[in-house]
Amino acid sequence: MVRAATAEDGLAARRSATRALIGRPQGRVAILALAGVIALVVALVLGVALGTVAIAPGDTLAILVHRLTGLDVGGTWTSATETIVWELRLPRVLTAMTVGAGLAVAGATFQGLLRNPLADPYVLGTASGAALGAAIAVVIPFRATILGFGLVQVLAFGGALGAVFTVYRLSRINGLSPLTSLLLTGYAVGSLLAAGLAMAMYLSGAALRQIFAYLLGGFDTAGWSQLGVTLPIVVVGSGLILLRARSLDGLLLGEEAAVHLGVNVRKERAILLALASLVTAAAVAVSGLIGFVGLVVPHVVRLVVGPGARRVLPLSALGGAGLLAFADLAARLLGEIPVGVVTAVIGAPFFLSLLRRTRTGYEL
Amino acid sequence: MPATRPSDPFRPAFRGAIRRPLIAIAVLAFLLSACGSAATARPTTPPDATGSLLPPETATPPANPSAAGSAAAYPLTLTDDEGTAVTLKAAPAKIASLTPATTEILFALGVGDRVVGKVEDFTPYPPEVTKVPDVAKFGSVDVEQIVALGADVVIAGGNSFNPPDKIVQLRRLGVPVLVEYAPDIAGVLKDIELTGDAVGKPTEARDLTASMRAAFDQVQAATTDTPKPRVFYELDATQKIYTAADNSFLAEMITLAGGDPITTGSTTNFEIPLEKLVTADPELILLGDAAYGATADTVAKRNGWTGMTAVKNGAIVAVDDVLVSRPGPRLVDGLRALALAIHPDAAVPAPSRAAPDSSASTAP
Amino acid sequence: MIELRGVTVAYRGRPVVRDIDLVIGAGERVALIGPNGAGKSTLLRAMTGLVRPVAGEVRLDGRLIETLDRGTIARRLAVVPQQAALPFATRVEEVVALGRLPHEDPIRGARPADRAATAAAVERVGLGHLLGRDARELSLGERQLVLLALAVAQAAPILLLDEPTVHLDLRHQVGAMELLVDLNERDGTAIVAVLHDLGLASLFFERLVLIDRGRLVADGTPAEVLTDVRIRDVFGVDPTIVRRVAPTLPLESGA
Repeated sequence: MVRAATAEDGLAARRSATRALIGRPQGRVAILALAGVIALVVALVLGVALGTVAIAPGDTLAILVHRLTGLDVGGTWTSATETIVWELRLPRVLTAMTVGAGLAVAGATFQGLLRNPLADPYVLGTASGAALGAAIAVVIPFRATILGFGLVQVLAFGGALGAVFTVYRLSRINGLSPLTSLLLTGYAVGSLLAAGLAMAMYLSGAALRQIFAYLLGGFDTAGWSQLGVTLPIVVVGSGLILLRARSLDGLLLGEEAAVHLGVNVRKERAILLALASLVTAAAVAVSGLIGFVGLVVPHVVRLVVGPGARRVLPLSALGGAGLLAFADLAARLLGEIPVGVVTAVIGAPFFLSLLRRTRTGYEL
Repeated sequence: MPATRPSDPFRPAFRGAIRRPLIAIAVLAFLLSACGSAATARPTTPPDATGSLLPPETATPPANPSAAGSAAAYPLTLTDDEGTAVTLKAAPAKIASLTPATTEILFALGVGDRVVGKVEDFTPYPPEVTKVPDVAKFGSVDVEQIVALGADVVIAGGNSFNPPDKIVQLRRLGVPVLVEYAPDIAGVLKDIELTGDAVGKPTEARDLTASMRAAFDQVQAATTDTPKPRVFYELDATQKIYTAADNSFLAEMITLAGGDPITTGSTTNFEIPLEKLVTADPELILLGDAAYGATADTVAKRNGWTGMTAVKNGAIVAVDDVLVSRPGPRLVDGLRALALAIHPDAAVPAPSRAAPDSSASTAP
Repeated sequence: MIELRGVTVAYRGRPVVRDIDLVIGAGERVALIGPNGAGKSTLLRAMTGLVRPVAGEVRLDGRLIETLDRGTIARRLAVVPQQAALPFATRVEEVVALGRLPHEDPIRGARPADRAATAAAVERVGLGHLLGRDARELSLGERQLVLLALAVAQAAPILLLDEPTVHLDLRHQVGAMELLVDLNERDGTAIVAVLHDLGLASLFFERLVLIDRGRLVADGTPAEVLTDVRIRDVFGVDPTIVRRVAPTLPLESGA
C-alpha cells in the first residue's frame, strides 16, 4: 500500500515502470493474428487444391484467376474441373470459414454474457431448436426453397432463433437471478425440444439419415447462393458484437459491477444475446450442428491474449475460421466423415496440451 | 440395404457436455429404426394392386410413348418417382448409378459399359461392376467425382436412400438426376422401364420386365393353392427385432411366395416386439440376416424363442437377403428362393446365381 | 452531489430502508454504520441507482438518477464491486483496467491516457508486486485491493464502498483507510463507505451516518453519533467493552 506521503517524483518514476507492465504485450496479439491469417490462407489454398479428384495446382490457380478477374489466362482445363474448383470447393471452404468464425464469435459472446466458461453457441437452446426445425422439415411432406435454402435450413434457422427467444422470454418471468435463470431455462427448453426431436426422428422412417446428417454437421453441400446469405449475417452480426466489446468486458466482474462501469446490462444482454443467436442460427442453418469450435476457440484465444473482448472476438473469428476450414478439409479427405468428429479430434488434444502448459492454473 | 450396414457413417460426435442428452436421444432414435432406414424397399403407400399382386397389364406398350422404340428421341423429358421432370439432352453416354439395384439394371440392359461411377456395393453383381469406380457410399455421394467423371445422367435412390441434399446439389450443377424408388414389385418393374427409357433401351427394358412378370406369375401359380405358413422374415435381431412392416415390399414378396408374413402392425415401423412375435407364433423363420451370422442354432438359443413352432420344428432357413430386397432384375431369383424356402416342393425353378434372369443380359 | 429524499426501498414488498433523507456533498467523507441487516448496503445500492426506491427520490448532481444513463453515472460515481468470481483467467492489471471502461473510446478501446490512469491506480493502491498474476489466484484481501484499484482507476468524483476492509489484515486496513483519506483530501473525491469497524470509522471519517432497522438514526461527527446510549440500543453491546476494543472511539461528551 502506497502511503499518501510518498514523494511525487518517486511515484512518477514507478508509475512509468508500472505502465510498461500494464496490458498484454501487443506482440502476442500480433503474432496470434498473423498466425491466424496465415492459417486461413493455407486452409483456403489447400481446401481448393485438395479433394477426391486430383486437379493440377496450376489449373486450380488459373481457374481462380480467370473467375476472379475475368482474364483469359489461356488455360486448358475442362469445364468439369472448373465446376469442381469454382462451384464445389471454393464455396465449401468459404462456408466452413464463415461458419467457424461465426460459431467462435458466438461462443465467445455467450461465454462472456453468461459468465460461464462452459457456455457454447448452443447453450440457450439454439442447437435443439435448429435440430428440431431441421427434423420437422425432413418429416413433413412439403418441400420449398427460399433464397437458395432448402426447408431444412430455413426451419433450422427459425428453430434456433425461436428457441433462444422462448428461453429469453421464459427466463424473465421467474424469480431467479437473470443468469441462472437463463441457463436453467435454456437447459429445460433444450430438453423439451430434444424430446420433440427424438419423436420426429422416431417418425421419420428412412429420412432419419437426413436428420442424422444434419445433427452431425458438414459442408458437403455448400454453394454460393447459401454463402451469399450466411456470410453477410455472420459478418454483420459479428461486427455489431465487436462494437459492443466494452459491454462484454464490463460483464467480466459480474452484472452488478458492469452496471457500475457504465454498462446498461439489461439492454446490452438482450442485444448481444440476439446478435450471437442470429450468428449461431445462420451458422447452424448452413452447416448443421458442429460442436467444439464455439466452446474451445475462445478459450484458446483467451489463454494467449487475456479476456479482453476487443482482442478475443476478432482472434476467435480467425481461429474458428481456420480450425473449421482445416477440419472440413480433413473430413473431406478422410471420406466425408462428420466434421464435428474432426473438430473434436483436432481441438481436444490441442486444448488439453494448452491447459497443461499454462502455468497460471487456468480453471474452467 | 442391409448389405450396406457396415459402412453406416453415423457415430455420435463430441458436442459438449450441455448437449449430450440431445445426442444420446438421437443415437437411441437412430438405433431404434436403424434397420428400417437401411432397407431400400420401403412402403410409403400400399401397393395399388394388392388383390392380384401383380399389375394386370402384363406386356403393355411402353408407359412413356415418347420413348417407344429403341431409337428414343432426345431431348427426352421423363418424370421420375418423385414427380420431378428430368430432361436428357442426348442419350446418356456416361451414367452414374447411386443404388446397387440401378447398377444391376443398367448391366442387365446392356449399358454396363456406360456406367462411369456407382455406389459402393458389398455384394456386387454382375462381377464386372467391380471395375466401375465408387462415387457414393451409404449415406454420402462424392459430387466432385461425379462432376469429374462427366456423368451426363445420375440415377439415384429415393426415399432418402441417397441424401436429398446431394441430389439438389447435383441438379444445381446442371447434372440431370433421375430419382427412383419402388414401394412395391410393380414399382420395381416401372423403375426398370424408366431406367431403360432414360438410357435409350426402352425395348430391352420391356423385354426384361415381361420376362420378370412371367417368372413372378409362374411362382404365384405354383404357390397359390398351397397352405400359407406363418413366416417370420428376420432382418435383424441383434438388439431389437426387425422384420417386414405392413404392406411393405418384403411382405408382398413373402405373400407372393406363398407365405403369410408376420408383420410389425405398422406401415412405417420395422421393429416388432418379442411378445408380439411369440404371440404370432411363426411356423417358419427366414434368416435374412444370415450373412451377419444368424443361424438356426443361435436362434434356438435366444431367450423366449424356444416356444415358437418354427423353433420347435427346426423350421429355420437362411435366405440371401440381397436377392430378396434389392429391387433389380434378380428379384425373380429372390422370389424363387423365398418360394422354395417356404414350399420346398413347389414347382419353381431354382434361383440362378450365375447370371441375371434376363433375356437382355449379354452386354454388347 | 448525492441527494436522497424520503427514500424507501423494499424487497418483495418488505421495506428494508424507510424514509431516508441524506445529502452527501462534494468532497465529503462519510461512513455508513449500523448493525447487520440495518439496510446500509441497500441504501448504498439506492445511491447508485441499482435499486429503485418505492418511495422518495435519489438525485445525482441534482438530476433524478433513473433519468441518467449508466455511462454518465459511471463517470460520476465509482463503486468498489463486491467480491466477484471471474469466469476466465484475468490478470490483475486487466481487472484494474476495467475501471477505465466508462472513459474508453467505445470503438477503439483504451487510449494512452486510460493506460496511464490504470498504471497510476495500481501504484497508488500498491499492487505492483501482483502485476501479471491471475486475479483469481489472489487471496481475498489482495482481490479486495485489486477491486479498490479498479474504482480508483475509474477516477469518479464520488467513490462508494461496501465493507472495503473485511478481508484485509490490520496493515492493509489502515493502508486502505489512508488511501481513502488521501483520495478525499488530495483529489477531492467524495467517499461514502459502509463500515462495520466503528474504530476505523471514527478514526478516519469525520461524518458518520448510523442506520438501524432501515431508518436513519443519527448523522454527525463520530462524537455526536456514537453515544453510549446508541451503542447499547442500536448494537446491543455494552459501550465500555466497545471502547476497550476500539479505543479510537470518541469519548462521549460529558462522560
